[in-house]
Amino acid sequence: MENNRIEMLLKKIGSEQIPSDIEKIAEREFSKFSDKLKDQKHISFKEYFMKTKLIKISVAAAIILIVLAGIPFFKGSGPSITLAGVYEKMQLVDAFMYKMKMVMTGNMQPSMPSGTTNMEGTILISNEYGMKMEMEGIKGDSNQKMHQQMYILPQGKKMYSIMPEQKQYMIMEFDETLVERMKKQSNDPRDMIKQVLNCKYTDLGRKVLNEVEVEGFQTTDPAFMGGAMGDLKVVIWVDVKSWLPVCVEMSIKMSEQMQMEGVLEDFIWNLQVDASEFEPVIPQDYTTPLPGGYKMPSFNEETAIEGLRFSLDNTSKYPEKLDIMTMMKDAVDIFRQTEDIDVNNLSQEAQEALSQKMIETMRPMQSLMGFYMMLVGEKKEPAYYGDVVGPNDIDKVLLRWKTGDNEYRVIYGDLSVETVDGSVLAELERQIQQ
Amino acid sequence: MRKMDKSRLLEIFDRVKSQYSGFLTAVLWKLTGERELFEEALQIGLMKIWQNVEKLHNNEKAAAYIYRIALSANSQAWRQRIGRNGQISLERFQNEPAAEHKIQDSDTTEKIRRAIAKLPAKQGRAIVMRYLEQRDYSDIARTLFCSEETARSNVSKAIAALKKKLGSLSEQEH
Repeated sequence: MENNRIEMLLKKIGSEQIPSDIEKIAEREFSKFSDKLKDQKHISFKEYFMKTKLIKISVAAAIILIVLAGIPFFKGSGPSITLAGVYEKMQLVDAFMYKMKMVMTGNMQPSMPSGTTNMEGTILISNEYGMKMEMEGIKGDSNQKMHQQMYILPQGKKMYSIMPEQKQYMIMEFDETLVERMKKQSNDPRDMIKQVLNCKYTDLGRKVLNEVEVEGFQTTDPAFMGGAMGDLKVVIWVDVKSWLPVCVEMSIKMSEQMQMEGVLEDFIWNLQVDASEFEPVIPQDYTTPLPGGYKMPSFNEETAIEGLRFSLDNTSKYPEKLDIMTMMKDAVDIFRQTEDIDVNNLSQEAQEALSQKMIETMRPMQSLMGFYMMLVGEKKEPAYYGDVVGPNDIDKVLLRWKTGDNEYRVIYGDLSVETVDGSVLAELERQIQQ
Repeated sequence: MRKMDKSRLLEIFDRVKSQYSGFLTAVLWKLTGERELFEEALQIGLMKIWQNVEKLHNNEKAAAYIYRIALSANSQAWRQRIGRNGQISLERFQNEPAAEHKIQDSDTTEKIRRAIAKLPAKQGRAIVMRYLEQRDYSDIARTLFCSEETARSNVSKAIAALKKKLGSLSEQEH
C-alpha cells in the first residue's frame, strides 16, 4: 500500500465522529471504575479487567509445560570424536525406550505448592511416530497425585497432554519450522547428547556401572538448552562396548527456590513399535481448558519484540533475564497481581475461560524466550541487557545477535531495530557498561 | 508502595479523569473502531492511569504520559483480541446502513488499526497526534517536548513502519 493511501485512510479514521453510544459506554466505564476505587481497599488489574483474581495453579503448570514444549530443538555441529560417535550410533536406532526419575525441590512462586515433587515414568521414542511419555508422581507438600501422558507427534504437527487425575487434556499445534526441528531432533537423549556436543564438556573417564563398563561425559556449560536452565550439571554415561548411553544424570538449579534432579536409565534399544502406541486415547468425559486448541507461536524478531512489549506493558519493565525461571515468574506475576489466591471457587467454565485467556496471553513471552534460545542454539552470539536497559534507553542495546560477518541486529530500549557493524556495536555496548 | 493516602490518590485520579476522559474516549475509539474492543482498551487504560496516578500528579509531561498509557492500553486490547480468534470483527458495521459496501473499506482500516497497535510507542504517538487528532507539528512538538523536526521524523518513520506492517499483515492473511 502506498504512503498516500495510508495517510488518506489515517485521516479518514481521524475524522470519524464518536458515536453517542460510545460516549455513554465511556461514561459508564469511568463511573464504574471510580466506584470500584472508592469501595475497595485494593484493586488489581486482574480483579477489575478479568473480573476475577483467582488463578488456578494447574494453569501455571500448563504454561510451564507449554513453554518447555516450545523450546526449539537446535541444529549445531560438534567437534568431539567419542561423544559425536555415540550420537551417530544413536541415530541408527529407530525406536527405543527408557525410564526417567525426577525430583523437583522448592517452588516457583512463594504461594505455589512447595516441597519435593517426585515423578517417575517411561518414555518411548520412535523416529517414525514421535514420542510418548507417561509420568506419575506426588506433587509437593499437598500429596496430590499426578499422572500425565504426553504425546509429541511430528507427523500430525501436534502435542497432546492428558491428565487422567483431572480428567483433562490439551492439544497443541506446532508450526512448520518447529515441526521440522522436531522431526530432526525430538526431545530425547539424542538431543541431549547433541546439546552437550555443542557445549563445553569434559571426559570423566571410565567406571563400572551396574556391571557395565561406561565412560562419562559431563557439562556444566550454561549454554546447555539455550541457556534457559540456570546452573546445571549433566553427565552422560556411555557403554564402552555398544557406544550407547546407559545412564544420564541431570542436576539443574533453576533458581534459588527451585532445583531439579533427574536420572534417565534402563534404556532398551532397537524396539519394534506399532503406530497404535502413538495414538492418544482421550475418554469422552475429559474436558480441555483449550477447547479451540493451542497453536505454538513462531520465534522471530517480530514476535520477540511483541514479547518485550508485552512484558513492558504489564510489568513496566523488560524481563531481567531470558531464562525459564525469570520468564515464568514474570508470567505468573502478571496474572497474580494480588496476594490472594483461591483455586477452588471458580466454576469449571470460568476456569476454562481463564486458562484459555492466560495461555493465549502468554504467547508473546513464549515467543521471546523461544527466539532467544534459538539464537543461543544457533550460535548467533546473542546478548540481552534487560537488567540494565529500560524503555527510555532509546540508544542502548536491549538485545542483539549476529546476522553476518561483522553484522549485528540490535533491538534498542525503545524497541526500535537496526542493523549495525561490529565497531558500532562495540561502542553501543561500551555505553551500557558505563 | 504508594506514598500518598488513598483519598489523595482518588482526588488526583478524578482530576486526571476529568481532564483526559474526552481524549481517552476519542483516541481509543479511533484506535479500536469496535465497541467491545473499545471497552476493553478503556478498562485497561483506566487501570493503568490508577496504577500510575502518582506520576501524573504535578508532572509537566503528564499529557505525554497519557498518550503512552492510551497506546499501551490499545496494544494490549488488540493483542488479547487477535490472540483470541485471530479474526477481524465486523461487529461494528452490522447494525449500520449499507453495511455491505463498507466492508471492503473497513477491512483496510481495520488492518491499519491492528498495525498501529504494533508500532513502538513513539511512532504510535506520532500517528495518533498527527492523523487521529489532526494536530500540527508545532503542537505535537510542544506536547512531546521535542523539536518540530523530531516530530516530523517520527511521523514519517511511523508511516514507513505502518507500510511494512500492513504488508506483513496482508501476507499472513493470504
